[in-house]
Amino acid sequence: MPDQSPHKLVATAKAVLLSPVGRAVLALGLVLLVGVAFNADGAFFKTGTHRDALRQMSVYGMLACGMTLVITTGGIDLAVGSVLALVAVCSATMAIHWEWSAWLVVPLSVLIGAACGLGSGVVTAWLRVQPFIATLAMMVFARGLAKQLAGGMKVSTAVPQADGTYQYVDVPSLYRAIDARLLGGHVSTVTLVFLACAAVAYLVLSRHRLGREFYAIGGNAEAARLSGVPVVRSTVWAYVLSGALAGVAGLCQASQEQQGDPEAGAGYELTAIAMVVIGGTSLMGGRGGMGLTLLGVLTIGYLDKILSINAVPSATRLMLTGVIIVAAVLTQKRGRY
Amino acid sequence: MHRTITALCLILSFALPGCSGSSSSSGSQSDSAATGGAEPKWTIAMSQCNLGEPWRAQMNADLKRAAAEHPEIRLVFNNAENDTLKQRSQIEEFVSAGVDLIMVCPKEAQPLTEPIAKAYRSGIPVVVIDRQVLGDDFTTFIGADNVAIGREAGRWIASHAKPDARIVELKGLMTSVPAQDRHAGFREGLGDVGEVIFEADMQWLEPQARKEMDSALARFDEIDVVFAHNDPGAHGAYLAAKAAGRAEGMLFVGIDALSHEGIAYVNQGLLDATFEYPTGGTVAIETALKILAGEEVPKNIELGTSTHAQAKYEDE
Repeated sequence: MPDQSPHKLVATAKAVLLSPVGRAVLALGLVLLVGVAFNADGAFFKTGTHRDALRQMSVYGMLACGMTLVITTGGIDLAVGSVLALVAVCSATMAIHWEWSAWLVVPLSVLIGAACGLGSGVVTAWLRVQPFIATLAMMVFARGLAKQLAGGMKVSTAVPQADGTYQYVDVPSLYRAIDARLLGGHVSTVTLVFLACAAVAYLVLSRHRLGREFYAIGGNAEAARLSGVPVVRSTVWAYVLSGALAGVAGLCQASQEQQGDPEAGAGYELTAIAMVVIGGTSLMGGRGGMGLTLLGVLTIGYLDKILSINAVPSATRLMLTGVIIVAAVLTQKRGRY
Repeated sequence: MHRTITALCLILSFALPGCSGSSSSSGSQSDSAATGGAEPKWTIAMSQCNLGEPWRAQMNADLKRAAAEHPEIRLVFNNAENDTLKQRSQIEEFVSAGVDLIMVCPKEAQPLTEPIAKAYRSGIPVVVIDRQVLGDDFTTFIGADNVAIGREAGRWIASHAKPDARIVELKGLMTSVPAQDRHAGFREGLGDVGEVIFEADMQWLEPQARKEMDSALARFDEIDVVFAHNDPGAHGAYLAAKAAGRAEGMLFVGIDALSHEGIAYVNQGLLDATFEYPTGGTVAIETALKILAGEEVPKNIELGTSTHAQAKYEDE
């Protein structure tokens, strides 16, 4: 570094720390420090712990990617957890019971998710129902549909026969592949799927016309409309993408459970929202980005892992998580409104 | 216009969670067991607190199967959809309909004690299943004992694991009574065999169990036994251990033994053993027939558990 006066260095450090990214990195760093301090007899320093932590946050992360797109438009998508369950049930039925090929199951799973998103998007943007209400309706509808299709039980490798007995089938190779590890066993496939989802969301948000329109709509929908942004169409796209990503998450959830559970994903939407917000994306819309969400996913994911390896009782866990979310969001908020 | 649609969606969103059951959304379904033209002599009305849990769906299926063998009874199912007041009005409806016997799986004790007592005092026999009510204004209670089941699981592990076994206990939602009872019974049955090195609340959920098991595996190099308070929990733990390449030689034990869950996992060689938490469906129908025939029945019928272990343990 060319000779800079100490004063200048301090100013630069201050500017970095006060930027949204700086703050998000700071929050993540603090959580990791907690992990170093409470390392559960060295468990925190094992590579396997980090591989598992990254796997466990991946499904939430996929939902958070879609949530980022929707929140950027100033909306919210409460339906993602239920859509996850619906897709988990559908994909398990297709892959386990009907033994369809992966080439059919994967695109259909994503399509089912996207169709749910299309529903939410049309009701929100075209029928002009508040996103909170529209996606709340989709949340209960998709959950009901998942239960209906699953017939009140999990869709598993024990396939019910007409005479009331069960026939056991193998776990489909698609599920095994998604739940496998790659790169010498150091990375779970779902983590790579999550990174791919994050890359897609990043490209849409930062490198595509659609992303610029999301920011414009989130900033001021009326101004966006007057300057020629197709507000209805772009908003619908945000929900469709969120639904499609929830579809990918549902497929990954079913693969890891080796079954389609109609009760899966309950409350996941709230974790996803917390991940987006803790990263520093504004719930008001128009501000934020995928990089921030990535940091938010890591922060909440690692917090969860650290509490888990230390076998912290669940009551304490909930309280600590609540306190840390507020603390992290407060540091994000200062000086920005 | 805008406001109308918003209102409509609001109504929809609050009406829909009600239809959580797997059966018809009207919440009531009649199942006439009459065969060969014989007219059913008695009507039994059943109020199930919810059908969202697979175990309760199984109970209704067991009741239906047992009732099908008796053409003299007609069994009518009602789903209270986890709504205490709905269950209360269902019981009141049974009384005014003048059914011959009421079966009820109460959602909770206190608020349902009074309606059940009223029905009982009006002369209709009431069979309470699975969850207790207060006082003794009912005909009989049929239920399983979670402490006994936990104890049975503890004893089985004590006799199949090495004396210094390192044990992981994955507990159900610890604010719920079944989890507390299973935990207490398990520790009692285990005695001084082994050591519980890691315990966590997995809230009855499989993904949660897998996550906690991952943590246990990261922290401890040696784990011999995993005991989970339900079969999905044991299955999640198995998947975690298998992914870590450490499932071999580890014992996996669960509870509930539903045919498409625990028993299927044991048959597939994933779990070593599971302990039945009986639904009491068959016993309930038999007891109801006795009551209708005017026989005396005990006030409290405790259902035993049965062990479903892999075939390799059978000769021991």
